[in-house]
Amino acid sequence: MSKRISRSAFLKGAGALFWSLTSGNWLAGCSNKFSFPVRWLGPSMALGHAIRDRTLTPHKGKPEEKKTIYIIGGGIAGLSAGWWLKRNGFDDFQIFELEKNVGGNSSSGQNDVSKYPRGAHYVPIPNEESQYVREFFQEIGIIKGFAQDGKAIYDELYLCHDPQERLFKDGSFQEGLVPHKGLQSEDKKQTERFFKIIEELRSAKGLDGKPAFAIPVDLSSNDSKYKELDQISMTDWLLHNEFDSKPLLWYVEYCCKDDYGAIPDIVSAWAGLHYFAGRRGRAANGEHNTVVTWPEGNGFLVEKLREKLKNHLKTGEMVTQISNEEGGLKVSTQAGDSKKAYQCEYAIFASPRFLADYLVKDYPKNLPGSSKKKNSLTYSPWIVANITLSRIPPSRGVQPAWDNVSYYSESLGYVNATHQNISTRSSKTVITYYLPLSSFEPKAGRMKLYTDDQKKWLKHIIADLDKMHPDIQTYIKEVELWPWGHGMIRPSVGYVWGEERKLMQQNVGNIYFAHSDMSGISNFEEAQYQGIKAAGHIMDKLGHKPG
Amino acid sequence: MTYALLITVFVISTCGLVYELIAGTVASYLLGDSITQFSTVIGVYLFAMGIGSFFSKYIEKKLVFTFVQVELIVGLIGGISAALLFFLFEHVENFRILLYSLVSIIGILIGLEIPLLMRILKDKLEFKDLVSKIFTFDYVGALLASLLFPLVLVPHLGLVRSSMLFGLLNVTVGLWTIHIFRNELPWLNTLRATGASLVIILVGGFAFADKLTSMAEASSYPDSIIYSTSTPYQRIVITGGGKEIKLFLNGNLQFSSKDEYRYHEALIHPAMGSLKNPENILVLGGGDGMAVRELLKYPSVKNITLVDLDEQMTKIFRDQPAFSHLNDNSLSNPKVKVINADAFVWLRKNQNQFDFICVDFPDPSNFSLGKLYTDTFYAAVKRALKPDGLLVIQSTSPYYAKNSFWCVVNTLEAVGYKTLPYHAYVPSFGDWGYVLAGNKPVKLDFDYPTGLRYISAATMEPMLSFPKDMQPTVHCINKLNNQALVHLFEKEWGEYVETH
Repeated sequence: MSKRISRSAFLKGAGALFWSLTSGNWLAGCSNKFSFPVRWLGPSMALGHAIRDRTLTPHKGKPEEKKTIYIIGGGIAGLSAGWWLKRNGFDDFQIFELEKNVGGNSSSGQNDVSKYPRGAHYVPIPNEESQYVREFFQEIGIIKGFAQDGKAIYDELYLCHDPQERLFKDGSFQEGLVPHKGLQSEDKKQTERFFKIIEELRSAKGLDGKPAFAIPVDLSSNDSKYKELDQISMTDWLLHNEFDSKPLLWYVEYCCKDDYGAIPDIVSAWAGLHYFAGRRGRAANGEHNTVVTWPEGNGFLVEKLREKLKNHLKTGEMVTQISNEEGGLKVSTQAGDSKKAYQCEYAIFASPRFLADYLVKDYPKNLPGSSKKKNSLTYSPWIVANITLSRIPPSRGVQPAWDNVSYYSESLGYVNATHQNISTRSSKTVITYYLPLSSFEPKAGRMKLYTDDQKKWLKHIIADLDKMHPDIQTYIKEVELWPWGHGMIRPSVGYVWGEERKLMQQNVGNIYFAHSDMSGISNFEEAQYQGIKAAGHIMDKLGHKPG
Repeated sequence: MTYALLITVFVISTCGLVYELIAGTVASYLLGDSITQFSTVIGVYLFAMGIGSFFSKYIEKKLVFTFVQVELIVGLIGGISAALLFFLFEHVENFRILLYSLVSIIGILIGLEIPLLMRILKDKLEFKDLVSKIFTFDYVGALLASLLFPLVLVPHLGLVRSSMLFGLLNVTVGLWTIHIFRNELPWLNTLRATGASLVIILVGGFAFADKLTSMAEASSYPDSIIYSTSTPYQRIVITGGGKEIKLFLNGNLQFSSKDEYRYHEALIHPAMGSLKNPENILVLGGGDGMAVRELLKYPSVKNITLVDLDEQMTKIFRDQPAFSHLNDNSLSNPKVKVINADAFVWLRKNQNQFDFICVDFPDPSNFSLGKLYTDTFYAAVKRALKPDGLLVIQSTSPYYAKNSFWCVVNTLEAVGYKTLPYHAYVPSFGDWGYVLAGNKPVKLDFDYPTGLRYISAATMEPMLSFPKDMQPTVHCINKLNNQALVHLFEKEWGEYVETH
């Protein structure tokens, strides 16, 4: 008799356990209405699709305005090209941005509670060779001066405040992102061995005396000893080096997704290692792994650039064609229904390269991004959710950090926008949740991104966060979802040091290109470097002397 | 009668599962980590049911009588379980022991129910029919409970009311059983009276659930609460027992009217007594107005700017006579300007310079408070300090948290201050630390106003000496990007709380 009863009770109990484990999913699945407002934003889809479908027609008439240089695209590459021209005393240029605001991947938003990033949200302490980043940081006061040993002194309001990172694993949060609590001794050994190799690679130099892994990548050593690493995947490299510790592999995968939106099977070992070994920056008043960050993420840097370039911006105006005509380049644009044409000597195409074939008339068939060529450029799709909370939900383990990651999630976790605040007034905050669609082929991921029900995405995200913070739903006040169809270039095996990327550095007549996809790594440093490089080439051609 | 008893099965199975869910949920709320809490609660509960089932065989006679007793006891214990757990959470040494004992008791009693009922019904139905019917009702009840709990009970009634409601249902089952077997049961009136009083208790509990919750809070303060409010920034509670009034912010004692004069005299006079005719004063924090009261004892003072985060706080201590008499109505003084703002944000915009700045924040117990003790903050304070001005900072206890105390000293020195640390004994707090700081080495003078009860030239001398047990063992500077002080403070006070 009692056996029967305990079975009945067991089923009840199992039911309750199931309920508790899946309540997030289940409750979300039950309610089709959310008690908070949800907005689905993102880059302008209609414009993007009009370009893809080639339904746009260029302006027929004669150019009405003239400049020496037009820059197409107001992301970090385009803005940095403008910054560099202006810094060198060259003023005759204009930047076109199809969106209402400049910034591209570094866009940001704002509500009553806080500013928040919609994409890129930090910059690591720049290396010695990242000269342009350091110059820019000095100009806008992020670097306040230099200590006697040459290390930069940073404005501490911008250095990431402590605690920087925490990881949810085994029921509670631990400090840092590298799993270190409750590990088997073999896991510990492998983790130590991995970081020892990284430490060696970080200071390694090639036969040409250049660092093995530099930022920007183009300043890296040409030594084949290191470049060969681009021929295998990160997974293969881990295998060759006999790394099979699960927590360690988790960490490496997390990092690949963080920087490239892709898994280690796809990312080349050179790029995978670059994430770790490339960061050599030192601050006089910060630890070496620290970063500079702001509530609005890299939107802070965008705003500084926008302020400096405010007389050179044409926003909400989409370039529909760049063509080589008599008398120079003709740039056709469209703002709403009104079409216009401009004329220039040089153009900087500071947009992702997959657009070049649609916008540059007679874009060479042999160049990457040409529709005549098998597409070698892959971009990772992402979804970013900015979630306004009444407070960071309580949790076990260490206190909330800037970056909060779960060991059990395919997402990258969330960043707390108010972490850098010096105000203690409110517990309300905005968290930015990053989800790379790394488990799909990029095309399939994009398809899913745009065709799946938006509520389904939201439920998915809430269910995921629920694993870290049970009942997170009760804290949510507002959600903004931001899909990135072509979020970041993927440094797949062979891309960084292969033929494709080399070809991408070429100019097409007087059209120069500038975008982080030409580096293979999508971040502020690379975008800025490409922008400045293009601006520099044109100034050389023009014979413009800095002044 | 058979169907009446089968409905009973349905009700008690619903109740049983609800108690289990309540215990699991309360444990998750209070202890966090819902997976662990639910798993262990369910495990203990099921095991206890097994124990109950096992012991049911030792009940030979008076089956109905026992069943009724079980129902009444389950009704009481299950009914008040949520309230009990919330109420005792603050007071018991080991909450888990309480939790699992309670879950075990309820489990054992629930485990008794079905075997007893089966035996009561065994002569009324054929065995296969009996088993089939009992388990059908049992399972349907379970389904009902598991749907009701998340969809209706928790959102609409809350946990305390839900458990009271289901306790009431158990008691009703008991009363109903008494009614059905009224001709067979002994002590009929006693049983009825017990049932009726339980109904009253549980209905009362259901009706006054909100009061119970606030009583739970009241019981964690030793004296009676005379004022309490939740502002957007903190929970303010003021208690008063006899002549002693105490202020708590988020449960932490800020002052006791009995000895706050020691704390505030020690905060203000060492600096003020050393300054020549201080005129412009800035107070950061200190919304209770006590520090301002001390400052107003100096006739040279022309204006005092008080920057406190919480409007409610400064309002209570300005407008409510019961509390404003504690600070001699200092906040209504025309020399005093109250600004409700974030000190750090306000300082970065401030253009004025002051003769004396008093920094009186709560201890650095979390990362947002920790930012108000960083080198970046003290650099901002420095810009607001006149070249000959002085600064004082309340810096936690150099006895309980010696490294935290010296970390404040180091941080001030790192941004170029010359410091003079000192400490005073405040009975409510223990040995408490302060740091005097200035742009030049601090030279003490003893030009105090009359009527002080604690500070004098004679008491100042021993306050400057730090015995060996207050000397630091680590050296660190508190920065936004290391929050060294919060880490130290957590560790040092954590150790103290653990060992006492």
